[in-house]
Amino acid sequence: MNSRLSASRLRSYIKDVELPVRTNVWPEPEASLILRFGAGIGSVLEHHAELHRTMLQARSHISAIERADKSVVSGTTILADRLTGSKGRFTRHWHAPQGGLWGSTIYVNTLLPRSRLLLPVAAGIAGCEAVRESGAQDAVIRWINDVLIGGSKVGGFLAESLTGARSREEYCLIGFGINVNNEQFPEEIQATATSLGRHLGRPVDLETFTYCFLAKLSWNIGLLHYYEEALLPDLTPNGSGHPLIRRWRELSDSPGKRVLFGFDVMASPQYRATVSSITEDGGLQLVLEDGSEITEYSGEIRYL
Amino acid sequence: MSSDIDFDEILGKYRMDPYAYVDICAPHTGVVNFKLDKGTAVDGVGGEWNHIPGTPLFQITRERNRRVVNAPITGIVSKIEVERDGQFVEAGEKLITIRYPLKKKEIIENILKEVLYLFVAPEKAKYFFSLDIQSRIEKKGSRAVTIRQGDEIFTMSLMKRDTPVYYTGQEGVIHSIYFKPGVSIAQGEPLVGICDEDTLPMIQKVITRVKAEWDSLYSGM
Repeated sequence: MNSRLSASRLRSYIKDVELPVRTNVWPEPEASLILRFGAGIGSVLEHHAELHRTMLQARSHISAIERADKSVVSGTTILADRLTGSKGRFTRHWHAPQGGLWGSTIYVNTLLPRSRLLLPVAAGIAGCEAVRESGAQDAVIRWINDVLIGGSKVGGFLAESLTGARSREEYCLIGFGINVNNEQFPEEIQATATSLGRHLGRPVDLETFTYCFLAKLSWNIGLLHYYEEALLPDLTPNGSGHPLIRRWRELSDSPGKRVLFGFDVMASPQYRATVSSITEDGGLQLVLEDGSEITEYSGEIRYL
Repeated sequence: MSSDIDFDEILGKYRMDPYAYVDICAPHTGVVNFKLDKGTAVDGVGGEWNHIPGTPLFQITRERNRRVVNAPITGIVSKIEVERDGQFVEAGEKLITIRYPLKKKEIIENILKEVLYLFVAPEKAKYFFSLDIQSRIEKKGSRAVTIRQGDEIFTMSLMKRDTPVYYTGQEGVIHSIYFKPGVSIAQGEPLVGICDEDTLPMIQKVITRVKAEWDSLYSGM
């Protein structure tokens, strides 16, 4: 990736590209406010040619800052051109060679638990929006936050929380991996993975894509704060519901799909069902084969 | 943990009243309308995935939002605050009590819960042992695995956000495991029961004693 990547260029991108996109739908004052709420994302950018895992680097960064009795900048984002030890959930391997967007954002949590619950949803929406805006209009989200093109996975997101050893701050690490220009995949995932470049039939400018994704992440995390502030005065949800959930419903193809559900669906699938929707707090509503309904807040699905 | 357990007193308590009582409280403020009477038999949540709601107990209405509260467990409505029907109630106000007969396993677990150190779920979520603890359990069995203050014992998973959970409490071995991986656990519910190695024989004595007393305990019912 080009080493010119910088926080100030991201700010310019948000002002010149992201804000006009959002004002197509939102009034300008609200759109500006939402982007100000999310302005911390990418305000510190750390870029490496190679790392083992960006999540580990993020943890080391937090430890080092805390040992120095300083505060971690919320939104600090660590990027690497390639990863040598990347992993997905559980013990799954994640292939992260040159050409993809690999990174972690350190978010110092100031959200209420109900909003914090939706951080992984915000990451998935940001990924899907960035992939769509880069040309893959048919990109969709599979609950909770996998991004797919034509049924193949193009992006995945992990979130981990930890408490600072000294500060006792609650940190949420948002890990992201998006196959942008990398086109070679290990044999075991060749049938289920793709990249944006492969789908478009041309390479994508990775620097621009990085700014685009971080701008979307900034917006969607800003939405969590915006809605929380709007909600708090009367503590009752308004009729239109959470804007992040509305957006998820626009981008996801999960509703209506027959799925296999499991906490670790690859290793231990639990049951088959049909997705009906997601709840206002992100839970997956499923209809089982006997017609009864169940809402899941943790686990994953695969389409049948 | 005290080594002086009065088995006769504990077992006597279960002989006199071999039931458990579950209080159902108002989840929030609102106007309550009961849907059944005292003495009604109710069913708890059912289905293979605990996805079928229990018998509706009451409806509580706040603003224009109606919420039906269902029985969490199978039993008999032993008490109901009928005078509150149609009234505005506060969050947490006790409205119904469900009584259900205890099984032998539950009695043993209840007694053990009094003598073990219980490490509870910090949030409603799904839990699984950390990789290190899991591999030690698979190799040696849980009762040979010692947990110390500060050990990463669980990963808590909620909405694809994983949080390491560190053990706080007395050092000891994992005697009882109260959760299944992949099943949601409510906040405050016990995940594991811990005891120090020296008291393991006494714990075994509790179990043996309850099992031995079982027939006589229930012959009096």
